[in-house]
Amino acid sequence: MGLHSILKKLKQKEKEVRLLMLGLDNAGKTTVVKRFCGEDINTISPTYGFNIKTVDHTVNNYEYKLNIWDVGGQTSLRSYWRNYFECTDGLIWVVDSSDVDRLEDCRSELKKLLAEERLAGATLLVFANKQDLSDSLNVGQIKEILDLETLKTHHWFILPCSAVTGENLVEGIDWLLKDISARIFTLD
Amino acid sequence: MSILTEKKGVVRSSKSRKDVHSYETGITEEELLKKEFITPEDVYIFVRLKQMYLKLILRDSKFGDMDSGTTLFEIAKPPQHEIDGNDPDNLLEEIDPNTGRFVRYQFTPQFLKLKTVGATVEFTVGKNAVNKFRMIERHYFRDKILKTFDFEFGYCIPNSKNTCEHIYEFPSINNELGEEMIKSPFETRSDSFYFVDDVLIMHNKADYAYNGGLQNNTSARP
Repeated sequence: MGLHSILKKLKQKEKEVRLLMLGLDNAGKTTVVKRFCGEDINTISPTYGFNIKTVDHTVNNYEYKLNIWDVGGQTSLRSYWRNYFECTDGLIWVVDSSDVDRLEDCRSELKKLLAEERLAGATLLVFANKQDLSDSLNVGQIKEILDLETLKTHHWFILPCSAVTGENLVEGIDWLLKDISARIFTLD
Repeated sequence: MSILTEKKGVVRSSKSRKDVHSYETGITEEELLKKEFITPEDVYIFVRLKQMYLKLILRDSKFGDMDSGTTLFEIAKPPQHEIDGNDPDNLLEEIDPNTGRFVRYQFTPQFLKLKTVGATVEFTVGKNAVNKFRMIERHYFRDKILKTFDFEFGYCIPNSKNTCEHIYEFPSINNELGEEMIKSPFETRSDSFYFVDDVLIMHNKADYAYNGGLQNNTSARP
């Protein structure tokens, strides 16, 4: 985060935060956002593009204006992810904890993102999603497979969650906002 | 914006049109079609976005209360309604190059009591990517601005289908203003401007009435 961006943030009367939500296809990104916003999650189809939500959210009496960018995770779409890196304050990586066969793929895609210069200043929140499914790996196993413990370049946090039950979605976003806030909005 | 104008009709209308002109820094659809030196690419940018339509979703729950989210109703149709020919403002509307992109909404007074509203725009992109896509939307009652959106989508993926929902606290409208808005159908209006690479490529207009269910009662009164 350069000085220019910090000054830019300070000028805004509302704390505007840009969150980029990525992950493999079928990880549940759109469902997470919809559930977070209290919407019906029964008719969600694969995202072939982006879904943006702008919504106000209050944490510790601070009101944030969230711009959540949920970009499709199909293999053919992943090369376009980089078009959305700019100005990202928080990266939300959504994992299908039951898709054991593709966790290796999941790990390598995340690794690529974390090496991106334009995401260097972003806080990472990992949602170990689909904890409502009985064959899901637990959060400790996901953390190990994604090799998070060795990650020193980014502030990070991993939470078990379920976009279906809503478990931990608000908690995760709240943690993310507090971390971003401490890094970016401390001067006001 | 300046102070409320007391005169009705023409003054009000020309006011709103001034707002429109101040944004016309680029090429409108109509101008684009008239120009001789227009490049195929210009047309293509326009054509690619022509499929865009507005979907308005109204929700009455406070954000964060995950289980009580209620969608009141959804409107999802391309702008196709022509405005009423008996409306005196129509004279001005008719010379507007974008008059075909007009939607009229009829709400009940209850709408003004909503706390949270979600407004969704959905659009598809053709085989070429769209760079720097931006939307500016202004809602106003007469010449009083109620709400302004300015949102940059940035890059749009080829062959993609995209959505953007703004969920916002409904602007606090005091009783006096609310009453006035209910009594003045279609004097609440909005303009939506769409830009690609800082060039205006589309302008949609809408107007709103909040007296749904009231009109009949009034006229049926003995």
